Amino acid sequence: MNQPKIKGRVGKYQVGRTIGEGTFAKVKFARNSETGEPVALKILDKDKVLKHKMAEQIKREIATMKLIKHPNVIRLHEVMASKTKIFIVLEFVTGGELFDKIVNHGRMIENEARRYFQQLINAVDYCHSRGVYHRDLKPENLLLDAYGNLKVSDFGLSALSRQVRDDGLFHTACGTPNYVAPEVLDDQGYDGAMADLWSCGVILFVLLAGYLPFDDSNLINLYRKISVAEFTCPPWLSLSAMKLITRILDPNPMTRITIPEILQDEWFKKGYKPPVFEEKDDTNLDDVEAVFKDSEEHHVMEKRKEEEEQPTTMNAFELISMSKGLNLENLFDAEQGFKRETRFTSKCPANEIIHKIEAAAKPLGFDVHKKNYKMRLESSKAGRKGNLNVATEIFQMAPSLHMVELRKAKGDTLEFHKFYKNLSTCLEDVVWKTEEDMKEVK
Amino acid sequence: MGCFCLKKLGHKPGYEAPINLASETPFTVNEVEALYDLFKKLSSSIIDDGLIHKEEFQLALFKNSNKQNLFADRIFDLFDIKHNGVIEFGEFVRSLSVFHPNAPEADKIAFLFRLYDLRQTGCIEAEELKEMVTALLCENNMSLSEDVVDLIVEKTMMEADTKRDGKIDDEEWKEFVKKNPSIIKIMTLSDLKELTLAFPSFVMNSGVSDLQQPVKN
Repeated sequence: MNQPKIKGRVGKYQVGRTIGEGTFAKVKFARNSETGEPVALKILDKDKVLKHKMAEQIKREIATMKLIKHPNVIRLHEVMASKTKIFIVLEFVTGGELFDKIVNHGRMIENEARRYFQQLINAVDYCHSRGVYHRDLKPENLLLDAYGNLKVSDFGLSALSRQVRDDGLFHTACGTPNYVAPEVLDDQGYDGAMADLWSCGVILFVLLAGYLPFDDSNLINLYRKISVAEFTCPPWLSLSAMKLITRILDPNPMTRITIPEILQDEWFKKGYKPPVFEEKDDTNLDDVEAVFKDSEEHHVMEKRKEEEEQPTTMNAFELISMSKGLNLENLFDAEQGFKRETRFTSKCPANEIIHKIEAAAKPLGFDVHKKNYKMRLESSKAGRKGNLNVATEIFQMAPSLHMVELRKAKGDTLEFHKFYKNLSTCLEDVVWKTEEDMKEVK
Repeated sequence: MGCFCLKKLGHKPGYEAPINLASETPFTVNEVEALYDLFKKLSSSIIDDGLIHKEEFQLALFKNSNKQNLFADRIFDLFDIKHNGVIEFGEFVRSLSVFHPNAPEADKIAFLFRLYDLRQTGCIEAEELKEMVTALLCENNMSLSEDVVDLIVEKTMMEADTKRDGKIDDEEWKEFVKKNPSIIKIMTLSDLKELTLAFPSFVMNSGVSDLQQPVKN
């Protein structure tokens, strides 16, 4: 099918020039004709996928990638298919590869390298927390967006690149094992998280040194150097940078530094800014913001409400819509879906509920803002997706019966669930029934 | 060109070609193919006959095939457009399309009205509302006295039944929803926007002809 290049259309995408080519996939530039947004279109031949028995793996990896929404990871937008091809629609970035910077300008100063490394570790940590491992972190997978932010590509899509190595024939053709952890070369089964971390260490070394820590034209020698972590730090490295690299490039995955330890590392922490998430997908944020916005107009309205000293009453239809029978989200594989909101009912007076939540949230490291029967709990600690921010509201279902709604306004959904678990144990005497109880009934 | 090979895949009765369903709904052909994946899973959980039976529907919603629920029954009845006691693939896709984030709000409001009009009289009577509130409380093991339930129902009727005739008609419903938009939140499933990522199995069996997605090497 090697015909001259024809610009075509796939679904709503206008397809343009080829921007990359690998063993399994061809990547083309494309544009969403509805929104004008540029994307990268990865095109796979089904024949090749089937021939290498990768179908199951690709399906699984697509489903996993759905969970990854991080500012430093290339987003997977959607998947399309025709009779002969699979099209994977990915976020397109324009800043080129990170390593072009090294090639063009040589090694980086520590502050610059640190910023990229912090973003890399954030991205890797976030994916690991969702059970997704890269397994093939290398320069080609580190891209930059127009603002110079790091974007890791091919996270979770490792089947597309890894399979080449599993197939003995392609082994050497696949290129450099320079970034691969010793236990991976050993081929004995390994912990994806620790192996990814090793690769991050090699990447950090290259950023700071301008050359590879492990290099040898002879593959056997190269393997030996990696397996004993034989490398020399250049003299210009600061002592603390050298210390960190040595802890990461520990050939024994059991004693190698972990990501939580890196987050506490002196060199790493310098000038650290937790990632900023644009939570485009989080709906219902406006009303949360509005409540706490100190506009005069709002004050007037809130004042009037305050006089009544009553929480908002839930009307009968709002009550009904809580039924599990009306919640069709459960049709879509509820197993992995963590919800962004949860509820419990309480027979305590609304004021008491507020006090109890406040008393429970503060020791967990939350700042509490109150306005009538709405609260906002803000974590002072930075989580994987920035600071966790929870909005709560108390509704009256009936006299002496209240419904408390907790909604994640910002931050990581997994952390929200952890928080809610903690909170609910502190609120035991307030909670009449939690949503979990409601679900488990009969 | 865009002809689907029914014989090859051996589809069960009630199957409809994704290309036709895509032309009637906000879904793309690939999304309908992804929905077929979900449909296959749901329709084979008890009897693998390509149809969703009531028990299979209950199993999906409650992880329990014997769980009776007034609201699940209503949804099932509305999905079962032909009223033959089962949900076919075409009915499944057409009904779910109302839940698409891009579906017209008026459709969502009308669907919910029909759902709450238990006896299909064209109005939601106060008795029906009470029945539903009671069912919700019962579903969650919450026991409230009848007085309290009456109070909840009365209060909502006061607000919704502006003509004061003991029932909510179509017009009153639209007004009420406008003032209480949170009521139709359940009519939008954000999952429907990420169908191709949630059910990627379709990529291997897609019937979309390459002419429809013409990309040449």
